[in-house]
Amino acid sequence: MTAADATLTRSGTRKGSVRDPFSSPWRRRLPLLPALLFTIVVTQLPFLVSIYYSFTNLKDRTQSLIPEPTKFVGFDNYRAIFNDPFFRQAMWTSVKMTVFAVGLSLFFGTLFAVLLDRRFHGQGLVRTLLITPFLLMPVVAALIWKQQMFSSLFGILNRVLQFLGLNSVAFISDHPLASIVTVLVWQWTPFMMLIMLAGLQSQPSDILEAAAVDGATPFGIFRQLTLPHLRRYLELGALLGSIYIVQAFDAIDVMTGGGPGSTNVPYFVYQESLGGGFRYGSASAYAIVVVIFAIIIATFALRVLSGLLKDEDRV
Amino acid sequence: MHKARTRSVRNRATLVGSSFAALIVIAAALAATASGHAAGKTISVAIVANPQMQDIASLTPSLFTKQTGINVKYTILDEGKLRAITTRDVGSGGKAFDVVMIGMYETPQFGAAGLLQDLTPQAKADKSYNYNDLIPAVRGGLSANGKLYASPFYAESSFLMYRKDVMAKNHVTVPARPTWAQVAAIARKVNTPSMAGICLRGKPGWGDLGASFTTVLNTFGGTWWSSTPDGKPAQAQIDQPQFKTALDFYSNLVQGAGEKDAANSSFNECLAQYQAGKVAMWYDATVAAGLLEAKDSPVKGKNGYALAPVVKTKASGWLWSWALAIPKSSPDPTDAWKYIAWATGPGYIKEAGTKTKGGWAAIPPGTRLSTYRIPQYKQAAAAFAPKTLAAMEAAPIDNPGTTKRPGLPGVQYVGIPQFQDVGNRCTQLFSSVIAGSMKDTDAIGQCQRIASDAIK
Amino acid sequence: MTDHERRGTKLGVGESRAGAIGLGVAAWAVAMLWIFPIAWTVFTSFKTEQDASSQTLHHGLSFHRYSDVSHSTVGTLALRTAFTNSLVVVLVSTVVVMLLALPAAYALAIRPVAKWRDVLFFFISVKFLPVVASIFPIYVYAEKWNLIGTRQILVILYIAINLPLAIWMMRSFFMEVPRELIEASEIDGTSLFNQLRSVIIPIAAPGIAATALLCVIFAWNEYFYAIQLNFAGASTMPQWVIGNVSTRGNFLAKLSAASIIACLPVVLAGWAAQKRMIRGLSMGAIK
Repeated sequence: MTAADATLTRSGTRKGSVRDPFSSPWRRRLPLLPALLFTIVVTQLPFLVSIYYSFTNLKDRTQSLIPEPTKFVGFDNYRAIFNDPFFRQAMWTSVKMTVFAVGLSLFFGTLFAVLLDRRFHGQGLVRTLLITPFLLMPVVAALIWKQQMFSSLFGILNRVLQFLGLNSVAFISDHPLASIVTVLVWQWTPFMMLIMLAGLQSQPSDILEAAAVDGATPFGIFRQLTLPHLRRYLELGALLGSIYIVQAFDAIDVMTGGGPGSTNVPYFVYQESLGGGFRYGSASAYAIVVVIFAIIIATFALRVLSGLLKDEDRV
Repeated sequence: MHKARTRSVRNRATLVGSSFAALIVIAAALAATASGHAAGKTISVAIVANPQMQDIASLTPSLFTKQTGINVKYTILDEGKLRAITTRDVGSGGKAFDVVMIGMYETPQFGAAGLLQDLTPQAKADKSYNYNDLIPAVRGGLSANGKLYASPFYAESSFLMYRKDVMAKNHVTVPARPTWAQVAAIARKVNTPSMAGICLRGKPGWGDLGASFTTVLNTFGGTWWSSTPDGKPAQAQIDQPQFKTALDFYSNLVQGAGEKDAANSSFNECLAQYQAGKVAMWYDATVAAGLLEAKDSPVKGKNGYALAPVVKTKASGWLWSWALAIPKSSPDPTDAWKYIAWATGPGYIKEAGTKTKGGWAAIPPGTRLSTYRIPQYKQAAAAFAPKTLAAMEAAPIDNPGTTKRPGLPGVQYVGIPQFQDVGNRCTQLFSSVIAGSMKDTDAIGQCQRIASDAIK
Repeated sequence: MTDHERRGTKLGVGESRAGAIGLGVAAWAVAMLWIFPIAWTVFTSFKTEQDASSQTLHHGLSFHRYSDVSHSTVGTLALRTAFTNSLVVVLVSTVVVMLLALPAAYALAIRPVAKWRDVLFFFISVKFLPVVASIFPIYVYAEKWNLIGTRQILVILYIAINLPLAIWMMRSFFMEVPRELIEASEIDGTSLFNQLRSVIIPIAAPGIAATALLCVIFAWNEYFYAIQLNFAGASTMPQWVIGNVSTRGNFLAKLSAASIIACLPVVLAGWAAQKRMIRGLSMGAIK
């Protein structure tokens, strides 16, 4: 290839030449602008406002018997956060909740995808049944598990335990985090299953058949050929799942109402602000701290993303 | 060349054109999503999801709208959500509601802070409303500085309910004014694997476990905060010996003779257990009696009632009311008062007796002296009405414990704004103690910290 | 049959008939277990309240709970109102999301802007920001602009929460459009609009459907913004379901019926479109 060829774009026109209708960078940007502007205005501006509030002692008017004027308190709110053991506990709970929920749903999702990968009687129906939990409202899923499954009074699990002669277990009171993780895994496994199914079905079957002909066991094929191929799908599932699970709110609100061991960071911030604390200044400071952490995690997670996007350079 | 230029011009035009089109579509879509408004006057009322409230919601069209032409749009929420939303709305001058249902905890605070309309002039002027008919303790609990800020729709105290047949079988007499020591002994005596001795609330929440526990705390001589002479909170008292005694007593009783899964049990759960014959006694709201003696209740006629148990004080029953108030920023205060005068007036109580599914035993109790003089009510509620009235009149609203409390009056709560959040967070810890997953000293240590930080 | 459809139909080398049947049975067993909570809830929804709270079946099964929750009293949140609100909010927000995401994906895939990686990262990082952290400023300004209790505020917020995912997915699907077709359409001189219409969209159609479905699912099921901002007006289906939870008295059968009704539309949509979702994901969500 000559140097001149190298400057040609893949569409055959020279970048920047008049013949390329998208020569001007602004014409390329224009289709992007509506979405970009909308996102910036609706998601970034509130954070700027939060930053402002975080330097004040803003509270709901009902929170003081004698009206207090709102005043600037500098970094007081932030200093208080560093001394707050309950916030640290919430962060640790967030980590545990996300890691367990994402990990377990990836595990089960892969398992179910493997089961569903071959044809059998009623395969479509089985798949239909399996994806249903993902389609439910999170509040409904939480209510179902709280009332119908876990409850000591109305729940079927304790009925079964009693039938087997065992003691009933107060699932939600004694194991709040596990109960919430159960609901999250129940709902998100189908999503992971769909991603992994996509991964399994994108495997070229001739390679698999060739390996089988060569004498490899099904398990060996899975370990050596399928898993590496699935790696990108696992990463995508982990990424998308974490994005949603780290924000889990509905299940906590419905099942435990917070409480030691089940309050994650979103719920903690909520309780500090509109959920009962009504300390808006302090809650804004928590929110900003959480945003900073979120940006750090996002940058970290996006290294995973760039792995996914490695060979996708287009001009 | 020429062809390319026109093509680029055409593409640019297309881009700009499509962007405009997209913006127009978005604007049109947003406009189209605006919901229409109902014709005629409509007021917006927020109420809590209790059966009496649901009754009035269904009777409003025929008994109120027809007479006055005012439509009522109800927002029905569970306690926790209602509290958060009304607090936020009233506190920020929101216009979402004309009438809000708030509790005896919030009313004096919101009233003193100037966020509610003073109802006293209208209440006193309205003959059919009959201001003096309101039970004095309830009226006082909903006032601040002598002004009535909310009109009671429903009021309750707490007392002890028990199965007369089970007590008889065990040769046990429950005194009419028992002490907690006596109640604990009885509970342990009648406790069997299939029927627990007593049901006590254990669910976290200042209005759930917090209410029951605080009455126990009061009568054991403990308190949440000490008070300065002018009524401000001085120091958190969680670390005092009386608090630990009360907490240990409560959790030991529940663990030893109490219901299963106590940490998840509040009114509803204990009601279900009591009706299913799984507990022999139940300490909770007086309004439960109406449900226990209802027509279709499996335990109808089998129950005895005693006053709330005491230790160091003369009385310990709580005092609670769900009342209707008009926020200062209410869009339509005139119609709001018309609604309140109807909903909390003596007339509605009489109509509810004949028109609701539950009949006379299910009317909103505890608000007016006249209620307890209605013959049909006296007959239908003979088993519990006199005891309920006695409990309400005995509730020690002004002096619930052995020491002075900060803030505005309250029995099962402390009348300062910080109590709600502190109560919620501390009862979560205490609930874990009851569940056996946390040591009482740890819970007390953490709660002391929470309570101290809150009043800084 | 395509390679993809032929997968798993014949026995591969080294697989036994019994093993294949065993896997099929295992799959059925797993599905039965996984769906059990939902099946149990459906069962409860047909019982009377007394049977529901004690897991007995003395009084038979009927549709009464369903009619109980559908008939609500005047002035309380009716099923019809909540349903309409949800429908309008979900449809409008999804349509707008697609209208914004399609051009944006074009600008990131077909004719990428210079810094397309950074832009993509920005959109995804927006999803990491916790929704609860910005609720108070949103509440304050929604109150100021009289948007509390309206459908508009939910539409705006749902667009914001679904847009990053839609852009991300649409971009992946657009990347699947063969370069040659795009170049061919350019040489022919078709406009951007026609290029989208005749070349890109037909190929990416399953992906577009999958993305729209995901947006519908997330918007229909959204609870936090709805409960914080629309507590008094324009309430949506999740709030209607929660309204059936009572703190005094038994309500389990009614709640079960309400839950089934509320979830049914999205469940049916998901069932109908599941094949498309898988095909869409296998086609382009990952290369």
